[in-house]
Amino acid sequence: MKITRRIVVLLALLLMATAAMAEEKRWVSSEGTTLKSEASATSDTVVDVVVGTEVTVVESGGRWLKVRTAAGKEGWVYAGRVSDAAPAGEVSGSDGGLFGDSMQKSQINTAKADSARSIRGLSPETAQYAKNRGTPEVIKKSLDGVLQRKVTAKELKAFLQEGKIGEYAQVQGGKK
Amino acid sequence: MRYLQVLLLIALVASAGSASASFFDKLQNLANPDSKESRIFSGATQVLSSSKEIDYTTERTIGESLALEGLQRFGTPVKNESLQQYVNLVGNAVAANSKRATIPYQFAVLDSPVQNAFAVPGGVIFVSRALVSILSDESELAAVLAHEVGHVSAKHALKSTQRAQFFEGVGTITAASVRGDRGKKFASAIGDMQAVLFDKGLDKEMEFEADLAAMETAYRTGYDPFALIRVLEKLQKLEASSKDKKGSWFSTHPPLSERIVRLRAQLRKYPDYAALASLHERFVKNAKLK
Repeated sequence: MKITRRIVVLLALLLMATAAMAEEKRWVSSEGTTLKSEASATSDTVVDVVVGTEVTVVESGGRWLKVRTAAGKEGWVYAGRVSDAAPAGEVSGSDGGLFGDSMQKSQINTAKADSARSIRGLSPETAQYAKNRGTPEVIKKSLDGVLQRKVTAKELKAFLQEGKIGEYAQVQGGKK
Repeated sequence: MRYLQVLLLIALVASAGSASASFFDKLQNLANPDSKESRIFSGATQVLSSSKEIDYTTERTIGESLALEGLQRFGTPVKNESLQQYVNLVGNAVAANSKRATIPYQFAVLDSPVQNAFAVPGGVIFVSRALVSILSDESELAAVLAHEVGHVSAKHALKSTQRAQFFEGVGTITAASVRGDRGKKFASAIGDMQAVLFDKGLDKEMEFEADLAAMETAYRTGYDPFALIRVLEKLQKLEASSKDKKGSWFSTHPPLSERIVRLRAQLRKYPDYAALASLHERFVKNAKLK
């Protein structure tokens, strides 16, 4: 009878453990995301993670989450930079490992976006459209100027930092 | 021993039972559009249909062509370098946290007296001088730009025209494919899209979707998500007093009151919203229009 009771307890524990193993997953959904050593944007960077990287939540602290990548890297990420579903669209993946397949895919996709970005001003196709339509020169020049505008990652970071926005807010663990 | 076997069977049945209950819960969740399961499922169907989708280069060509038409209709960019740079910084801040963060975005304030903002496929977004002039802080500007980013993310303009089929299956649009007869067809398709974007307006469900996406994106970036409601309430006041609504954000969008009701319901998702950034002073410093 004692043995039976022990088995029942063991089975119950096993069931509970199985439930606990259903860990919470998140996917990196913002450009320029890094895992930090502490729940603060000014702490050291553990690793850069690309959009689409799947991570497991280890600990939650307000607007910051401690997560682990498939490659075993652990760090804190601002909750706004991850989502609870894999991002659809140009980039998707599941492994943040250095040589992970998704990393390669992401790099290819980023390269595509970069090459699109590197098309400065009007594309030859749009220029042809403008020619067909007899679009005034001033309009073509205006769009050309708009398309040449680029915000660098460094400028964006400084802008968010100056405005104390998101991960740069003076907030720790969800408290002001 | 037999007792033990019975216990084991009970345990197995219990564990199988809980597993199937969870499976059915998940199936039921598919019916709820906000559930995690439903979102994952819709992600999977998007991947399945992605081979039919227009590639980015073509999308960008369509967008740039529409942008040329938009500039002719609404006016050229305001000649204020610091304002344009500021709007690009706010726009890129929200775009980086949108559902489509990996494409380049460009923003411009147009010299137009009508309160309006619009996005063309591929990521070029325009906001009028008149709309910027009624905003009070950076979070309100972020809300407007995030709404337009929402349209780009969900490819609303492309989905709004049956003529999109013209672009599908032709592969990447090249300079050669916008010449001659094909060029005429291309121009005609752009004409159709112009009518949707500038006159008729997008489907109202798309507008609601962009509103909710804007609130989520602003919140994820760290901006006060209530700002979008404030902007819509300002437009509501303007709408009541303006005779000519043609071309404004309220003429091409669903009723503002309906949008506000839906956004207020969504706001419950963000209980800490009041603690997020609004940045009135920085906005006034950078976006002061002469």
